[in-house]
Amino acid sequence: MKKALSIILAAGMLLTALAGCGSTSSSTPASTAGSASAPAAEGDYAGQTLKVAAIETAYGTQMWEDVVAAFEAKTGATVELTMDKNLEDVIDPSMKAGDFPDVVHLAVGREKAMPETLIKENALEDLTDVLSMNVLGEDVTVGEKIIGGFTGNTTTNPYGDDRVFLMPMFYSPCGLFYDAGLFETKGWEVPETWDDMWALAETAAAEDISLFAYPTAGYLDAFTYAMMAEAGGQDMFNRALNYEEGIWETPEMTQMFDVLTKLASYTEPSVPSNANGDNFTKNQQLILDDKALFMPNGTWVVGEMADAPRAETFKWGFMALPALEEGGDRYSYTFFEQCWVPAGAENKELAKVFISYLYSDEAADIFAASSAVQPIAGMTDALSEENQLFYAVYDDGAKAAIGTFAATDPVEGVNIKDAMCFTMDSVVSGTKTQADWVAAVTAASDALRAALK
Amino acid sequence: MQKNKARSRFIVACVAPAVILSIIFLVIPTFNVFRMSLFKWGGYSPNKEFVGLNNFITLFHDAKFFQSVRNSILLIVVVTVITIGFALVFAAILTREKLKGQNFFRVIFYIPNILSVVVISAIFSAIYDSNYGMLNSILSIFRGGDAEPIYWLGDQKIVIYSIVGAMVWQAIGYYMVMYMASMSSISESLYESANLEGASRIRQFFSITIPLIWTNIRTTLTFFIISNINMSFLFVKAMTNGGPDGATEVFLSYMYKQAYTNSTYGYGMAIGVVVFSFSFALSAIVNAVTKREPLEF
Repeated sequence: MKKALSIILAAGMLLTALAGCGSTSSSTPASTAGSASAPAAEGDYAGQTLKVAAIETAYGTQMWEDVVAAFEAKTGATVELTMDKNLEDVIDPSMKAGDFPDVVHLAVGREKAMPETLIKENALEDLTDVLSMNVLGEDVTVGEKIIGGFTGNTTTNPYGDDRVFLMPMFYSPCGLFYDAGLFETKGWEVPETWDDMWALAETAAAEDISLFAYPTAGYLDAFTYAMMAEAGGQDMFNRALNYEEGIWETPEMTQMFDVLTKLASYTEPSVPSNANGDNFTKNQQLILDDKALFMPNGTWVVGEMADAPRAETFKWGFMALPALEEGGDRYSYTFFEQCWVPAGAENKELAKVFISYLYSDEAADIFAASSAVQPIAGMTDALSEENQLFYAVYDDGAKAAIGTFAATDPVEGVNIKDAMCFTMDSVVSGTKTQADWVAAVTAASDALRAALK
Repeated sequence: MQKNKARSRFIVACVAPAVILSIIFLVIPTFNVFRMSLFKWGGYSPNKEFVGLNNFITLFHDAKFFQSVRNSILLIVVVTVITIGFALVFAAILTREKLKGQNFFRVIFYIPNILSVVVISAIFSAIYDSNYGMLNSILSIFRGGDAEPIYWLGDQKIVIYSIVGAMVWQAIGYYMVMYMASMSSISESLYESANLEGASRIRQFFSITIPLIWTNIRTTLTFFIISNINMSFLFVKAMTNGGPDGATEVFLSYMYKQAYTNSTYGYGMAIGVVVFSFSFALSAIVNAVTKREPLEF
């Protein structure tokens, strides 16, 4: 009897241990509350289930829950919503096992690089036909609603042709943030050209204020993209994004590296110490404390630092990059998030309908209430005054730079963002020179050109 | 006979869970790492391309990989020597000397071991902070208030040693307690007779204490070196994420970046294979070098 019992116990132990790692039910309770009570037979998609995975960011989770509930009410479909701050870690195991979500809202440029990997592996669904679909419940196509330039760039069309694989979602202008209050009290003018900037650097240095700080070197991507466009125009910017041979030694790009190197010499010296995922807010704090004047960032920084202490007269200011010469073009990089459909998704048709719904006035209003702005004309009117100031940067004459480095086959050990942005840390601390920087970017660019899709 | 059969069935049933679990979670994944290191694969799609030993050839021409090897070896050597050295000395003092508040010290030394690495990293990030950190504040007493602060986590020549500091602090207590346990089992009579012979405390430490706990030191040494590879990844991930500009990249942080951020999963696995073989070889070497006839008393 005892033996039998111990065998049963041992078997039970094994089973429970295995069961712990077997189940992968990842649907969050968030959506089920709405879907369980929704009448299932209303729309054309009643009875179908759509798996949506969305990254939880500074905008919060409520807007996605509301949009999903509204979509369920409209179509009768059931949506399983998964949200997490580290979304990759949540959906990655089942994706590796071949079980894909139908719609994923997750931007490129994150450390885990999930969409980039899927692009490199040709594992995304072609969404070009979504542009000609009518927005769910409206008489206008998705393509007509999206502001021009947000599709057809190297981010949404990663293979450099007319096929769209990533749909543009919430956007935010990136540029330089500063303390407008400090400029008022000191009577300084906000610089319009880089020459003004260097002059200001000397003035500020006399008061022990550094010119520049960056949260982590990774934030310099938007900055360098805008600088490339500013130095060489949109055409050269695109050629650089496609790793054109010899482009980094041209006079235009040399001008860009000159600005970056000079900026490094005016950077607050403690910045590299805190330029990592855990301490980057200390670098952002430098602006709030008036220890540094400018930092490259996106509009989310206002919410991110909402509770941080600040100088008494502090007031957020935001501008596009200064021009290289008097009257020259000023650029602001447009960061936008994307949503996409994995090629392995089961319910692609409904996934596309869902995406079309994301551009409806109804959904856009829900998103805008959480300050997440869809690239739809007129959306910025619904924003708070402070946020409107940021989005007005393009109305004030700045040009928009859109796009990312073109997709390539993965190249072992080569990462152009590392070479382009993170070398800044070494230039600030003096261990590398501008020549090293150009050489690193050129080497990475050459290696990636050979692997272009 | 019947009884024997039942007995072996019982043994099989008892051992089976552990064996099955270790096969599923240890043997198969390890085998998979070796297999996948031969493929060019991003990690998600079914498009795996067999490339033979190409990943390894690329690896041996990758300057950033060698930087991570250098950093890892430096951490293994420096952290191990300092930690084990200090742990031995502290253990000897706490067991052999009559100190007031021995138990208090024992607890204090052990506390870092209870804390999670992330907490320790946060504490040390605060200590190392160049503008408001404790370390620079204390040093400014000697260097003067106007001296340029030392950038403990920003200066590429110093930052790896800043990580050493945090790792040593974290590990010392655990090993100290291990050594204290074996030191307290050494017979008091040996020390008494050494005293009568006129041997100094230091002489006693090297001639009695160390030889008699040698087996313990050997085991902990191997154990420590292997855990060091994992711990350095955790510390680097939480304190610097490999930065500034790769100055603190170690084996596993570089592997992580290649496997995920750079979408070269197969290449990441090749790094995994090298790390696996490296730690195996290192443990074997350490084991062979430290082999002595066990002393008994």
